[in-house]
Amino acid sequence: MEAEIMEAELVLPNYLSFKRIQMYDKYPKGQSRGRHWKHLKQIIQAENYQNYPPDEPNYVNIESPPSMRPCKRICDITGYEAPYYDPKTNLRYANTDVFKMIRSLPNEHVQRYLAMRNAAIVLK
Amino acid sequence: MPFISKIERQTDYNLFDSSIPIVIDNGASYFRIGWAGETEPRVVFRNIVQRPRLKATGETVTIVGDHDPALLKYFDCTRSGPRSAFDSNVVYQFEIMEYILDFAFDRLGATGSKIDHPILITECVCNPVQSRSKMGELLFQTYGVPSIAFGVDAAFSYKYNQQRGVCDKDGLAMCPGFNTTHVIPFVDGEPIYKGSCRSNIGGFHVTDYLKQLLSLKYPYHMARFTWEKVEDLKMEHCYIAPDYLSEAQLFQQGAKEAEEKTRMWQLPWVPPPTEEPPSEEEIARKAAIREKQGQRLREMAEAKRSSKINELENELHGLEFLLNQLAHVQESNVPSFLAETGYVSRQEIESARSKVVQSLRKAKGESKSDQAEIEKADSATNEKYSLINIPDDMLTADQLVEKRKQLSIKSMSEGRQRLKQKRYEEGLERERKQQLEEEKRLENPELYLEQLRSRYKDLSEKIDQRKRLKTNGGSTNGNGLAGSVGRGERLNAAQRERMRLLTTAAFDRGKGEDTFGAKDEDWQLYKLMSKDNDDDDEEPDEDNTELARISSRLQLLDPTFVPKVETGSSQPAEAPRTRPLTKEDFQIVFGVERFRCPEILFSPNWIGVDQVGLDEMAGVSMRRLSCKDEKLEERLTNSILVTGGSSLFPGIIERLEAGIRMIRPCGSPIKIVRALDPVMDAWRGASAYASAPGFHTQTFTRMDYDVNGEDWLRSYQLKYSL
Repeated sequence: MEAEIMEAELVLPNYLSFKRIQMYDKYPKGQSRGRHWKHLKQIIQAENYQNYPPDEPNYVNIESPPSMRPCKRICDITGYEAPYYDPKTNLRYANTDVFKMIRSLPNEHVQRYLAMRNAAIVLK
Repeated sequence: MPFISKIERQTDYNLFDSSIPIVIDNGASYFRIGWAGETEPRVVFRNIVQRPRLKATGETVTIVGDHDPALLKYFDCTRSGPRSAFDSNVVYQFEIMEYILDFAFDRLGATGSKIDHPILITECVCNPVQSRSKMGELLFQTYGVPSIAFGVDAAFSYKYNQQRGVCDKDGLAMCPGFNTTHVIPFVDGEPIYKGSCRSNIGGFHVTDYLKQLLSLKYPYHMARFTWEKVEDLKMEHCYIAPDYLSEAQLFQQGAKEAEEKTRMWQLPWVPPPTEEPPSEEEIARKAAIREKQGQRLREMAEAKRSSKINELENELHGLEFLLNQLAHVQESNVPSFLAETGYVSRQEIESARSKVVQSLRKAKGESKSDQAEIEKADSATNEKYSLINIPDDMLTADQLVEKRKQLSIKSMSEGRQRLKQKRYEEGLERERKQQLEEEKRLENPELYLEQLRSRYKDLSEKIDQRKRLKTNGGSTNGNGLAGSVGRGERLNAAQRERMRLLTTAAFDRGKGEDTFGAKDEDWQLYKLMSKDNDDDDEEPDEDNTELARISSRLQLLDPTFVPKVETGSSQPAEAPRTRPLTKEDFQIVFGVERFRCPEILFSPNWIGVDQVGLDEMAGVSMRRLSCKDEKLEERLTNSILVTGGSSLFPGIIERLEAGIRMIRPCGSPIKIVRALDPVMDAWRGASAYASAPGFHTQTFTRMDYDVNGEDWLRSYQLKYSL
C-alpha cells in the first residue's frame, strides 16, 4: 500500500547505524517506562544554587522580579477596561451588559475564565 | 507566515569532512540542524514527539515532528499526545531528546557507525548543569560525537546581526521566545549574564490564551480551535497596539476604525435546503390527489357498509323465517326443532331479531336510528325499569335482585345522558366565546393584540417562575447542587408540606422507640404527600394549555410574534434555537482578541504570571548590570535588537520604544531594531560562529569532561567574539 510506504518514513526506524547504543537496548521493553526524569523544579533544587556565590548568574537569579507598575485591569470576557468586579464569581467586567452575561454563565465557564487568570480555586 | 518543516533526507552527508561541525538550534518550538557555514539549516521540524500505536500491529512507534493529520489515521493516537522534551526552556526529558536527535541525524543523512563531527548546540541562558551534563553524555556516549560546544541562541542572533551592522557591539538583546523571554545586555560583544533577565512568558502562552478565549466565547465551535489552527490565527492576525487602553476604548465605542480592525472567520456552513413555496400547479395537484384519496376512502366505506347491510338483511330474513316456522311448530316440538338452529327459546330468537333490526337501521342511516334509539330507549326504560316503581315488599327475592340491577343501570344511563348534555352545552359556550372574541378583534385589532401579548407574557413568566421554584433555581445559580434540598434553600410548597408531614410523623411517636410503620395507618402518610405533589402538578397544566392556545392565536394573527422556547432558563449559554442557525452563527469574530493576546507579553499579570513585561525587563536588566558608566547605558539603549519567534508581531517595536522611553531619562537615545530574520538568525549566527577558524578552541571533548568533571562544566561559557 502506498500509504504504508509513506508511513515508513513517518515512523522512526528502530535501528540507526550511527548510534552506538540503540534505543531498544537503552530502554528495554517491559521495564517501567514511567520515566523518573526530574522536572525543572527538581533540577533547580538539586542544583543547590545557595552554595554558590550569589553574584554569579544562574538559572534562578536571572529570573525577573514582579512588576512595579500597577496592574491594568481588563474585563475577563470582553477585554475592555474593567473597573468593577463581581464578588460572587470573582470575574472582572466592564459594564452592565457584560455583567448580565456573567451571571448567566454556567459554572464551568466561570472557572475557566478564572483559570486563565490563574485565579481559580483548585480543590484537590 | 506559517513555519514550514523541512524534513527531506539529505544525501550529501558523506561529502562533508569530519572537521566540519554540525550546528543545531535546539529550540522549544522548532529544531533546526544543518552544516556550519551554510545560511539555511538543512532540516527543520517541530520539536515534539508522539508515540502512538500502529493500528495494524498494535506496536508502539515513534513519530517526530508534526505531520499531516491525514496520515495519522493509521495510528491510534488516543493515548499519545505530542510531548516535548522541554520544561519551560530547559531540556529535561532525555528519552524524547534522543528520539529527536535520532530523527534529525537520520534526516541529515548520517551513516557510518557514529556521528563524527563536532557539534554546536544551543541551550537556554544559564542552563542548569544537570541538563547540560546529561545532554553532553547523550551526545558523547550514544552518538560518539568527538566534541561539543554549548551556546545561547539569543547571543548567536545578536552576533550575527552585529556582523551585519544592524546593532553595535554594546547593546541589548531582547528575545521573546516560545516559552520564555530573555533580555541580555552585551558589552564589547560578549553577553553579560549577570545583567540578564528572564520572564516565563512567550509565544506558547499567547497562543494558549487566544485558544481559551475563543473556546469560551464560542463554546459551540470549541472543537475547531485546535492548537495548530489557533497558532496560525495568531501569526496571521494578531498585532500589538501602541496603547492598549485607547485601543480597547475604540472597540468599546464601536468606532469605525474598530470595525475595520475586526476580522471575521467564516466557518464552513451549509444552509438548510430552502423550501420553495409550492407553485399553483403543485397546490392544485396535491389537492387533486387528496381529493382522489378521499373519494377512494369514501367508496371503500360505502362498499363495506352496503355489504354489511346485505349481511344483516340476510340474517334478518333467516331469523324471521325461523320465527314463522316456529309459529307453525307445536309447543312440545320446539326444543328439538330449535336444537338444530342453535337457539334455545323463542325469546332468544326474538331478541336476536330485534338486535339485527337495530344494527340494520344504524347501518342504513344514523339520524333515523338515533331517534329510533332514543324512543326505543325511552320505551325500553319503562319496560326495563318496570320493577323499580314497585315497592320492595311486593317482590320476591329474585325480583329484588333484578330491581337492584335495574336501578344501577338506570342511574348509569342517566349519568351518561347528563354528561352528554353538559358537553353539548360546553361546546355551545365555547362557540359563543369565540364569537365574542372575533367581534372584539374585528372592532379593535390593535387593542386585542396588545391584550393577547400581555396575557402571554404574564402566563409565560408565571410558568417560568414556577419552574424555577421547582428546580430550586439550581442551574442558573451555578451552585452545582442539582435538585437536592440543602440547608437554606427555598423549598416550594409541596416540599414544605412533605417535610412537615414527615417531621410530625416522627414527633407523634413517643420518645424512645420509633414505631413508625408498625400500624398500617402510618403509611397513609405517604398517600397524603404524593397527593400534594399531584395538586401542584395539575395547575401548571391548565396554564400551559392556555399559553399554548394564546401562542397559537398570536402566531396566526401577529406577524412579528416569536414564541418563547421552553428551555429559556436552563441553557442560556447556547444560541437560542428558535430560529435555524444562520450564517452569522458560524462566523468567528476577531476584534479585541487580536491585540489582547500579544499584550500579555507586556503584562504577564493578565495570565497570572507575576513578573515584569517586556518593556520593564529592559530597565531591570540595566539595573542589574549596575554599571557606573552612564554612557554605557546610553550605548545599550542605542542598539536594542529584538529577535526570537514571538517578536514577529506587528507593532512591537513602537510599543517597546514607548515603553523604554518611559523608564529612561528624557532625551536619551533609543534605537530599537528587529533582527534580519528573527526566527532563523539564531541558527545562522551559530553556523557563522562554527565556521570561524577559532571554533575548535571553544569546544570540549569527552576527555575534558571526564577529567574535569561537572564543576568545570558548570563554569564553561562560550566566548562569542572569535
